[in-house]
Amino acid sequence: MTTEAPPDWVQADPWLELAEHADDHDVDRALGQNHHTEDDFAALISPSASTRLEELALRAKSLTQQNFGNTISLFAPLYLSDYCSAGCIYCGFSSDLDKPRRRLDLAEARRELEAMKNKGFDEILLLTGDRTKFADADYLIEHTAQAAEVVSHVSVETFSMTTPEYESLAAAGCTSIALYQETYNPEVFKTTHRWGPKSNYNYRIEAPARALEAGIRSISLGVLLGLANPFSDALSTFRHARALQSRYWRSGIAISFPRIRPQLGGFSADTPVSDRQLAQIIFAFRICLPEASLTLSTREPAAYRDGLAGVGINKMSISSKTTVGGYAEPTDATGQFEISDERDIPTFCAALRERNLEPVFKSWDAVYR
Amino acid sequence: MSNQAPTPLVLGTQSFESRLILGTGKFSSVDTMIKAVNASKTQLVTVALKRFNKDRAEDDLFAPLSSLPSVTIMPNTSGARTAEEAFNAALLGRELTGSAFVKVEIHPNPHHLMPDPIETHEACKRLVKENFIVMPYMPADPVLAKRLEDLGCASVMPLGSAIGSGQGLSTQALLELIIRDSSIPVIVDAGLRAPSEAAAAMELGCDAVLVNSAIAVAANPSAMAEAFAGAVDVGLNARHAGLMSRHTRAQPSSPLTSFLSDTPQS
Repeated sequence: MTTEAPPDWVQADPWLELAEHADDHDVDRALGQNHHTEDDFAALISPSASTRLEELALRAKSLTQQNFGNTISLFAPLYLSDYCSAGCIYCGFSSDLDKPRRRLDLAEARRELEAMKNKGFDEILLLTGDRTKFADADYLIEHTAQAAEVVSHVSVETFSMTTPEYESLAAAGCTSIALYQETYNPEVFKTTHRWGPKSNYNYRIEAPARALEAGIRSISLGVLLGLANPFSDALSTFRHARALQSRYWRSGIAISFPRIRPQLGGFSADTPVSDRQLAQIIFAFRICLPEASLTLSTREPAAYRDGLAGVGINKMSISSKTTVGGYAEPTDATGQFEISDERDIPTFCAALRERNLEPVFKSWDAVYR
Repeated sequence: MSNQAPTPLVLGTQSFESRLILGTGKFSSVDTMIKAVNASKTQLVTVALKRFNKDRAEDDLFAPLSSLPSVTIMPNTSGARTAEEAFNAALLGRELTGSAFVKVEIHPNPHHLMPDPIETHEACKRLVKENFIVMPYMPADPVLAKRLEDLGCASVMPLGSAIGSGQGLSTQALLELIIRDSSIPVIVDAGLRAPSEAAAAMELGCDAVLVNSAIAVAANPSAMAEAFAGAVDVGLNARHAGLMSRHTRAQPSSPLTSFLSDTPQS
């Protein structure tokens, strides 16, 4: 099922004109505010603001420092299963791809978690494909409870769940949920999410609210940059974040900025996002949502990540595997996508320190679950 | 009161010569933080429980601080959204550090990090009963300050302005009311950007100030820590020296009515 238009509260259309044609005066106004509206966000992602990237970067750096100090929080993903029931055109786990599938049982996952913990990680993101009988809600709840015994901060990135399922996940020790709409454009959503539970646009767009309603402490939003008009999708993400903030005022909001990477399916971006465009979008989010956690993963190359560390971005993954498992025992399976920043932890941490940033592995405590 | 000799700051059962308390987050390295703590000559630091990391020494803030002999550690409950969470965090903090001090910090809204007065009051009530030396971070609310004092808190720590905002003493008028009525130490916590604001807080009548971001993100944290320490002393000395009052109009230094006498006319 799909919709003709996105729900009102994520509509970007009324601001697209400004996002395309804002002038210097609009950008000045946006930079001069303490509290930012959609108009400000639109002005900051406009072509006019793109000529003032250095100014945006300076503001973004100052706000990142104000909210997060000179620190970068680190985490790593653990793919529990690559079974999948969905047909996402850009994903190496798509159910039509002929590849061997695997899932970790509890004992295997524990070995992976302990290997990650030994590397220093205290925040782990658990991932699966779309809902299957091999990796359903019960499977995730069991694995979350186990991960919560090993690390302080367990996040989950998986299929959209029901409110009671999110409640069980929170009770098992899940602190945050990552759930990306991929694109807020219903037409593009329909053509790129060809089948499976994930192809239900409305059920997915309501999932972050269900998670917060169920007591999950923070939610990570995002789109897959490259699928549709990135500026329209960025505006919708901003509006989605603000709508959740006003309704769930105790909840943390995070935004991630994945760009399409090469993967087994061979899909390439229809609307590729340049390095400068992505940086501009990140700066706009930092300026307009100064307290939100902004994440940049190993999809991006080392030099690009280093450049944005502390300049908008406050959280990063490192030493990531996008295959099922891979931390405790090496695997030659194909992952969900190819990573780009392949540095090991000491090299990456040294690069952060070089930029006067402290890598922080533990920034949460199990006592707050 | 004028011409008062400097006295130590008494919090619970402990006295402190230094009236500068340091927060330990947001620094660019543990080493930088330790150097700033030393440079500030502080005797009391607060550490977020979430930054205790027994599994990874280079990521842990507690162990290096606990090796400083003249520094008392006060765990804080940053991250807690409710009284229950803060209570549990405080118990764990005492177990890990052996310190009876706790900074109660409950700010449920990540957007502005304003302290929740209702949950803070509830947490303090429970923690006082558990014999903690309870130091609540609180909104600059004179009624709440007295309610927390009535519970048996060791101090109140009203905000100068929002955490990390560097907006200085934007709550000054309310701080003055808190200071006037309080029988326990009043410590301005949060929002200070410049040492001059710390001096102003001390001149106003605060008993101490707590600083974190302004030192942690300074280009030279140790030098800034030293500057804050100096400013706290200057402000306190100025207060003890007896500040002149503010007047709305000029006051001639030779009063116009000095020739008048109370002696009955002969």
